[in-house]
Amino acid sequence: MSMARTRSPLGRALGLGSAKDGVEHWWRERVSAVALVPLTVWFTASIVVHTGDNYAGFIAWLEVPLTTILMTLLLIALFYHSALGLQVVIEDYVHSGIRIPLLVGMRLGCFALAVAGILATLKIALGT
Amino acid sequence: MANALSDRPRPVSPNIQIYRPQLTSVLSIANRIAGVVLAVYAVGLVIWLVAAATGPEAYATVHAFIRSWVGQVLLFACSFCFFFHLCGGIRHLAWDAGYGFSLRAIYASGWTVVAATIALTVLTWAIAIVVPGVSR
Amino acid sequence: MIIRSSDEMPRVTLLKRFPVPKNFGVRAESRINRGRAWPAPKGSVRTKRLEVYRYDPDTGENPRIDSYEVDLDDCGPMVLDALIWIKNKVDSTLTFRRSCREGVCGSCAMNIDGTNWLACTRFISDLATPATIYPLANMKIIKDLVADQTHLFAQHRLIEPWLRSRTPDPERERLQSPEERRRLDGLYECILCFCCTSGCPSHWWNGDRFLGPAVLLQANRWLADSRDEATGERLDDLEDPFRLYRCHTILNCTRTCPKGLNPGKAIADIKKMLIERRS
Repeated sequence: MSMARTRSPLGRALGLGSAKDGVEHWWRERVSAVALVPLTVWFTASIVVHTGDNYAGFIAWLEVPLTTILMTLLLIALFYHSALGLQVVIEDYVHSGIRIPLLVGMRLGCFALAVAGILATLKIALGT
Repeated sequence: MANALSDRPRPVSPNIQIYRPQLTSVLSIANRIAGVVLAVYAVGLVIWLVAAATGPEAYATVHAFIRSWVGQVLLFACSFCFFFHLCGGIRHLAWDAGYGFSLRAIYASGWTVVAATIALTVLTWAIAIVVPGVSR
Repeated sequence: MIIRSSDEMPRVTLLKRFPVPKNFGVRAESRINRGRAWPAPKGSVRTKRLEVYRYDPDTGENPRIDSYEVDLDDCGPMVLDALIWIKNKVDSTLTFRRSCREGVCGSCAMNIDGTNWLACTRFISDLATPATIYPLANMKIIKDLVADQTHLFAQHRLIEPWLRSRTPDPERERLQSPEERRRLDGLYECILCFCCTSGCPSHWWNGDRFLGPAVLLQANRWLADSRDEATGERLDDLEDPFRLYRCHTILNCTRTCPKGLNPGKAIADIKKMLIERRS
């Protein structure tokens, strides 16, 4: 597979030019990471403490306003951080035409899952 | 198909096939794999919450799966990936703030992440199994 | 197990190569075949076996691995000495770049026993048996160990590695305090051997758009230069999801730099500058 390469090496390196954008994504990945450190530690500790709880016990735990708030914050931070991270993974490894649909699908999927999780949490908290 | 030898594309020298795995690259790819795995587990988290919101029967089904041996293995893998990504993530945040770039610090922090991951995973499971009044 | 500087050789090998299929992602023309084994010279007592990547563009053949037995009592202590010995005494078709033989020109950069380094500053006694000599990783190969660095130098040219100023030239020098000059230490010493860039997995997967550690270190050299007046424009040109932000702090670059420089830190400094200018 050989192509007539007429664009100069510098032209090829320049590509479409600098996007002049990228700090935002990087920053938000770090901010969501910082948020996730205490939230996930809290969640893990809660799971450990409540191991063996039955359904009623679980509901009682999630109904506590602080728990509801923290769980909602966890879901937001988790799916936002996941969306940003997975975007980078897809950009790194996928270079064919499926790239853009995959990026869009992944982002929408994360959003949908976050909404599902938050609504489920609120439904439990506000009375099933 | 190339005709003249001059049309033949130059071969590319091997990269991942021969490059030596070092602590730097191994921990980096492991952190990425852990992150992707956790993203998949996040789906499980939502399923768990939605099942709880649906009602006791749905919750019981999910709960039974988690308490099965398959579920416990998956949960163990999840906790391992979580602690690894957490410790690795904190290491990354330190780098982003500008700290820990000497080779000595890179290697020391790297081994610390590995040790901390194992320690935290074992500790968490030990506490979960031993401590609460568990009706298992 | 704690490496303190890049010239330290690891004492233990836990994993020899990443567990990928042998020809993972390798195009047909890049597949490597077994080549010939050259015998040890008669009467040699101490020998070292070197397995060297060979590629001849004048035949239609794929690259191959040739095996040489180097007489250690007949050649100097460095890997470059071994290669020169092979070229002089055994196989004069072996082709590689070299110049200063003292680790300052960057010509003999290659992949030795799995890591990128300069052949002239790597001791033969530090090598595995057999030792493997490949060209710099993930490079288009012109011949044997000679890699085509056109794209890398194009990326270097892209960052405009010269002083950009708006104030008219002063009568004498542009002044710089000792502290300001110290900010260039660790950046100006780069010999552009491209060991780091060629060892960066992110550059392997996205080298067409990601600038790589060597070029980004040089970009930081100009960003850190107090006499340069185009800092904003330079940062604009770097702020791109691919040019800069394909760096995921893997740090293979810092691990492999044969001059002991720290491209990983330089890139982190660029990222910090980008945050600082908008907060």
